[in-house]
Amino acid sequence: MNKTKFAIAALSLLALGQVQAAVPAAKIQAMLAKPSVMCGRFDQTKNLAGMKKPLAAEGRFCVVAGKGVLWRTLKPFPSTLRLTRDEIVNYQGDRVAMRLDAKTEPTVRVINNVLFSLLAGDLGQLDTLFDGDGSVDANSWTVSLKPRQAALEKAIGTIKLEGGNYVKSIVMSESSGDRTTIVFSAIQTGEGAMSKEEAALF
Amino acid sequence: MTRTRQLALLWILAVCLLLGHNVYLWAVKRIVPDTDIMALLPVQERDPVLQASFSHMVDAAQQRLIVLVGAEDWQDATRAADAYSAVLAGRNDIFEATPVNEKTQNDWLSLFQQHRLALLTAQQEAQLHQQPSQFWLEAALAKLYAPFGGPKLGAWQDDPFGLFAGWVQERALETPVRPRDGHLFVADDKRQYVLLPLTLKVPALSMTAQDTVLPLLKQAADAARKASPKVELIQAGVILHAANASGQASGEASTIGIGSLLGIILLMWFAFHSFKPISLILLSIGIGCLGALSVCWMLFGHIHLMTLVFGASLIGVAQDYGIYFLCNRLAADEQLDSPALLKRLLPGLGLTLLAAVIGYMGLGLTPFPGLRQMAVFSALGLVFAWLTVVCWFPLLIGSRTLKSGGLVRVYGAALQRWPLLRLNRTTLIAAVVFILAAGYGISRLGANDDIRLLQNPPKHLIDDQIKLSKLLDAPTPVQYFLVRGDSVQAVLEREEHLKARLDSLIEAKRLSGYQAMSNWVPSAHAQAARRALIEEKLLSDDGPLKGIAAQAGEDAQWIAATRNGLLAAGTPLTLEAFLQSPASEPWRHLWLGESKGVYASIVALRGLSSAAAPQVLLAAEGLDGVQWVDKVAEISSVLGRYRAYMSWVVAAAYIVVFGLLFRRYRGRTWRVLAPTALASVATLAILGYASQNLQLFHVLALMLLLGVGVDYGIFMQEHPDRRDHTPWLAVGMSAANTILSFGLLGLSSTPALQAFGLTMLLGTALVWLIVPCFGSIIRESKHE
Repeated sequence: MNKTKFAIAALSLLALGQVQAAVPAAKIQAMLAKPSVMCGRFDQTKNLAGMKKPLAAEGRFCVVAGKGVLWRTLKPFPSTLRLTRDEIVNYQGDRVAMRLDAKTEPTVRVINNVLFSLLAGDLGQLDTLFDGDGSVDANSWTVSLKPRQAALEKAIGTIKLEGGNYVKSIVMSESSGDRTTIVFSAIQTGEGAMSKEEAALF
Repeated sequence: MTRTRQLALLWILAVCLLLGHNVYLWAVKRIVPDTDIMALLPVQERDPVLQASFSHMVDAAQQRLIVLVGAEDWQDATRAADAYSAVLAGRNDIFEATPVNEKTQNDWLSLFQQHRLALLTAQQEAQLHQQPSQFWLEAALAKLYAPFGGPKLGAWQDDPFGLFAGWVQERALETPVRPRDGHLFVADDKRQYVLLPLTLKVPALSMTAQDTVLPLLKQAADAARKASPKVELIQAGVILHAANASGQASGEASTIGIGSLLGIILLMWFAFHSFKPISLILLSIGIGCLGALSVCWMLFGHIHLMTLVFGASLIGVAQDYGIYFLCNRLAADEQLDSPALLKRLLPGLGLTLLAAVIGYMGLGLTPFPGLRQMAVFSALGLVFAWLTVVCWFPLLIGSRTLKSGGLVRVYGAALQRWPLLRLNRTTLIAAVVFILAAGYGISRLGANDDIRLLQNPPKHLIDDQIKLSKLLDAPTPVQYFLVRGDSVQAVLEREEHLKARLDSLIEAKRLSGYQAMSNWVPSAHAQAARRALIEEKLLSDDGPLKGIAAQAGEDAQWIAATRNGLLAAGTPLTLEAFLQSPASEPWRHLWLGESKGVYASIVALRGLSSAAAPQVLLAAEGLDGVQWVDKVAEISSVLGRYRAYMSWVVAAAYIVVFGLLFRRYRGRTWRVLAPTALASVATLAILGYASQNLQLFHVLALMLLLGVGVDYGIFMQEHPDRRDHTPWLAVGMSAANTILSFGLLGLSSTPALQAFGLTMLLGTALVWLIVPCFGSIIRESKHE
C-alpha cells in the first residue's frame, strides 16, 4: 500500500508546482487576480545533475477554473500536458505518450482536486501538504514551500514562487540536484485568452 | 437383587467421576467451545504443500480486521477515522494498528533503485524489442524538457528513459490504496475512504476475544459517527463472521435445547401425571450429555460449538430408553418387580441402542472432523443415557409408582382402529400409487453441494465484504495458483511462464490482475535478459544516448558517465534481499519458502469472477509445477462425494441392522425395518415435491432416522399384541419428542442443520404413522 508514495508524491507536487495561489497568507490571496481563464507564455530552464549546460524550453500555458490546466511546450519539441478532473494526459504530437486515468490511478482525482481547490483560492488544502514561508511587498510576494512529509521532500525538494497579481516564476529544487526554473510572461485573461487550438484540446 | 444394587452403586461411582471431570473442565480449565468453521472441514492430507499454502493464506487473513471510514468529503472521512482510531488506540493489548510509516516508505524505493536496470514491465520489454532507437531518443528528450512529464523518481540521469518510473507505476497499480495526509486512502465514485488496517493480538476465533473486541468496535463506530454523522463504515474480518456464527449457534443451542426439554416435560405430565418420571428422564439425558462431553474432551482435546448444537437434538433420542421402560412399567402387572421387568425388556432395549449407535457411527465414517466429533458425542450420549436407565431405573421406580393419564387412554385406543396391512388388492394398489408418486418426487430432487451450506453469514456482513473487496480490488484467498520448484529460481521462472498466460487473460478481461513474487523480483534469467536488452538497445555506442548528448550539447565523456551510472544499477535483485526489506511486507505471504527441498509460492488473482474461473484455471495446463487451487470447489466436491458415499453407507447400514435383528425376529425382521425405509423414501419424495435440493445433510439425517425408526419398529415387534398399548405409547412419546427437538433444529438458520432437522421431522412423523400398519397379522389372529 505504501509503494506508490514516491511516484504519487512526485506527481502531486509537480502538479502543484504550477499553481499560482499557493501561499498561506491572506495578503497574497488578496493580491492575486483570480480569472476564470488565464493563458500566457513560459520560459523554462533546467539544470540537470551531471550536465554542464542548462536546457531551455518555451511554450504556452492555460489555466481554466473548473476545468484544468494545459501546458504546451513548443520549443525545442512540441509536447502537450493536459490535467483535467479525470485524467492526466501527455501528448507528443498526436501520440499519447502517457495517460493517468482516475479510474485506475485514484490519486489523479486527488491531485486535481488539490489543484482545483488551489485555483479557487482554497489555501487550506495546500497547508496540509506544505510549510509555507513568505514575504509580501506592496505589489509582489515571495513564498517558498517545503513539503511537510519527509518522503515528499526527498522526492521533490522545495518550490519557490514569486508573483504579484499573477505568479511570475517558479523554481523547483529537487534533492537529486535537478533544478527547474519557469518564468511566466505575456499573461492574458478572459475569454479571448485561449486560442481556438487550445480550447479544442480541453 | 444384590446384583442390581451393585450395578447401581458402580454407576453412581462412574457418574461421580463424570461430574468431577465436568466441574474440572468448566470451572477450573474454563474450556471454551471452538467456533472455527474451518475446523469442521476435512484436513487436506494428500498434499501437505497445498494444505500449507491454504493455511498460509487463511492465517494471513484470519487476524486481520479492515475498516473503511468513508464520506463524500475527505476531511469528514479523516475526522471520523481519527475518532475511530482514538477509541482503539487505548487498547493496544488487543489491537495492533498498522501505522502509515514515513520511514518505511522512504526506505522501500531505495532497494529497487539499486537494481533498477533489471526491472521492466512486460510492455516496456516488448517496446525495447520492437521500437527503434529514435523512439527512445524522443522519449528521453521529452522527459528532459517536460516540466512535469509524469511520475519521476530521483534525478533525470538516473532514469533517462522513464523505464524505472514506469515499472514503479505498474507496481502501484497492484493496489488502489494510496497514502494521503498520513492516512491510507481509497475512493469510489461516491465516497472517499480512510482505510484502517488492524491486526488483532487476541485470537479471532476465541469467544472471549470476540466478546471484548465487538463492543469496542461498536464504541469506535459510535465515536466515528459522532465525529461526522454521515460517515459510512465498512468492516470486514474473520472475527466478525466468527462472532456472528458463535452468537447464532449458542442462541440456537439454547432455543432448541430448552424447547425440546419443555416439550418432553409437558408430554410426561400428560402421560404419567407425576414429576418423578420426568426428573428421571431428565437425569438420564443429563448424564448422557455430561458423559458425552467428558469423554469427547478426553478423545479430541477440544469441542466444537456445532457439536453442542447437534448434541442438543440428542435429547430427542436419549429419552427413548427411559420412556420405553416407563411405559412398560405403567402397563405391567404390579406383581412383577422392576428388576425382573428390566430383564424382560433388556433384549429390545439393547437392540435399540445398538441400532442407534450404528446410525451415528455412519456419521463418523465421513472425513469431516466436525461430523466425526458429533457422531462420537451422540453415540456416547446415548450409551450413557442407556446405562443410566438400565442401572438406576429398576431401583428408583417401584411397581406402584406410576399412574396413567387420560390422554394415554384416548391415544392408546387409536391403535385398534389403525389400518393393518394385509396381502390384498387395496394394499397392492396403495403400493403401486406410492411407488409412482415417490418415484416422481425423487426424480425431481436436484443436488446442492455448496459450501455455503456450512455457514450462512447475515446479509450485512456479506454486503460489507463485497463492497470492501470491490474497493480494495483484493485477491480472493480461496482461489489461486500454487507454484512449486526445486529452487527459488525454478519457482520464479515458472511464475513468469504462468504470468505470460495470465497477461492474455487480463487483456480478455477475465482478470484484473495478479500478485506474484516475480512481479517484484524477476527470475535471475529474466533480469539478465533485460539488462542485456537495455545494454543493446539503449546503451550501445550508436544508441539514443548519442542523440541526447547532441541535443544537450554534451560530449563523449558525458555519455560514458551516464552509461556507467546506469550500469552500476544493474546488479541482480535477489529474493532474499527483497524479503528482508520493508517493501516486501505486504507481499511476504505469497512466498511459502522451502520445505523438504521444495520451494513454493502463490500467485494470487485480482478481479476474478466465478464465471471466469473455469477459463482461468486452464492457464496452469501443461506448465510444470503450477497448480490451480480452488478451496471452494474442493469443499463442494468433498460435500458432493460424501453425499453419494453416505447414500451407500445408509443402504449398507440397513443390511447390517437387518442382519443384527434377524437373529431375534427372523421372519418378522422386515416388519421392523420397513416403516423406516418407507418413511425415508417418502421423505425424499416430499423434499422433491417441495423443490428442495438434496445435500449431504439430508442423507446424514436419513442415516440417523434409521437409528430412531428402528427403535419404534423394535418396540412394536416386542409386543405384537394389538391390545397391548404399551409400545404404541412409547413410540408416540418418543416420536413426539424427537419431532419437537429435530423440528426445532429445522428452525436453525444454518442451511445444513435446517435440512437435517426437516428430514428428521418428516421422517419421524412418517415412521410414527406407518409403524402400526406393519404389526404382525398371524400372531394377532392367533390371540383373537
